Amino acid sequence: MSTEIHALAGAYALDAVDDVERMAFARHLTGCEACRLEVAELRATAARLADTTWTAAPPRLRENVLRQAARTRQARPRSPGSPAGPAPSDRPGRWRGRVAAGIAAAALAAGAAGATFVVEERRVGSQRQAAQSALDQVSRIQSVMAAADAKARQIRVKGGGQVAVVYSRRTDAAVVMCADLARPSRDRAYQLWYVRDGQATSAGVLAGGQNAGTMLLPGLHGVEAVAISLEAAGGADRPTSRLATVPLA
Amino acid sequence: MGQHWRGEVDGDQVAWSGRLSAVPSGPQRVLAGGPAPADQQAGDLADELLQAVGRGDEQAFARLYDVVAPRVYGLARRILRDPAHAEEVAQEVLVEVWRSATRFNPAKGSATSWIFTIAHRRAVDRARSEQAGAARARRVAAGAGQTPYDDVVEQATANLEQQQVRRCLQGLTDLQREAITLAYYGGYTYREVAELLGTALPTVKTRMRDGLIRMRDCLGVSLG
Ligand SMILES: [Zn+2]
Repeated sequence: MSTEIHALAGAYALDAVDDVERMAFARHLTGCEACRLEVAELRATAARLADTTWTAAPPRLRENVLRQAARTRQARPRSPGSPAGPAPSDRPGRWRGRVAAGIAAAALAAGAAGATFVVEERRVGSQRQAAQSALDQVSRIQSVMAAADAKARQIRVKGGGQVAVVYSRRTDAAVVMCADLARPSRDRAYQLWYVRDGQATSAGVLAGGQNAGTMLLPGLHGVEAVAISLEAAGGADRPTSRLATVPLA
Repeated sequence: MGQHWRGEVDGDQVAWSGRLSAVPSGPQRVLAGGPAPADQQAGDLADELLQAVGRGDEQAFARLYDVVAPRVYGLARRILRDPAHAEEVAQEVLVEVWRSATRFNPAKGSATSWIFTIAHRRAVDRARSEQAGAARARRVAAGAGQTPYDDVVEQATANLEQQQVRRCLQGLTDLQREAITLAYYGGYTYREVAELLGTALPTVKTRMRDGLIRMRDCLGVSLG
């Protein structure tokens, strides 16, 4: 990793990086003790900046928050030996309300590939369980990101934005993150592809109109590249274009 | 072939958590600095309350709300401008604090740092998702010259912690201060900040970092 990346610690602690840079830098942190310590301190420093923002909130906010909290089951504590340690930026609840919608969108959009999720959706009986299922996916993503053999690739996409891929042959999965892609109309969608022997098979479709997202792509056997294309919403059987191809070594 | 939709996962959290597990480190503690005894006390109170909340204590949550909500809401308001959006984000963040309090580990940092880190990120995400593309670029252009932290009304009501933060901000060079306040209170990326300030990208990156380091030393934030 170039020495230049250490300089990103300040911007990272201020949330002043885009998603791709954030992932690249987070990846850097896994191997750089100096930056890790520095970022922890700079994040705590940045948080102090909130002290100057005291503003009286509308009284109904208190009522709403307390009422909603009373109805909200708390997350299970992580056991000490659990692989996913909590972090200041850990916000699992962020997906909770959106998981079902995300799953449904993916199932609708991805055709055969969506079957996996349809099954999971039936198996999980409640939103809470769905959230847990999402957290399991997150831990799979974490295991890819933390794998000793993980490699990162980042490529600019024709038309704008970037795609970053972190993949690990050992965990047999890739994490693909798209950021700042040109925003398509609602009836168009970005689609990801596995490339094997020069043949593309669908690896998933973003929702119509969506220009950013992260996906876990399991199963890298024989996969030589991951590609992205822009298709009609719902995805295509074959890519009609190649906006970017990210080779996996 | 299964595909797994992860539209809401963020890479930061993933890798951040991953590295914590990958590198078992010694006990860490973020301490608010000595120069601000009032803040130290407020910080300790928030730490105690958040831990009680983690044990399901709803009364502690109501008290914690009173301690942190004005800053969670104020921060969202500063970044998002729109009061209704700020209220939504503040509610999401505070309910999330309730939900995830079970996972707060005081050995890894203070409660307020944990809460405001969540709040900042959430507000910034919301600002960026709402102002994608050209609209956001225009906002950046229109935001030139703002000094968001410099607000007369707030000056009048400033308490000890605020005064300490303001004093430390004043101790920065102009470029350090502008870069940090535009990023933190404006929700701008360092690229946007560079554009706003008409300054080279590497310079902005460097000023954010050395400015925060100077702030850290001024505020007495340390891991130990
Ligand atoms: Zn480093």
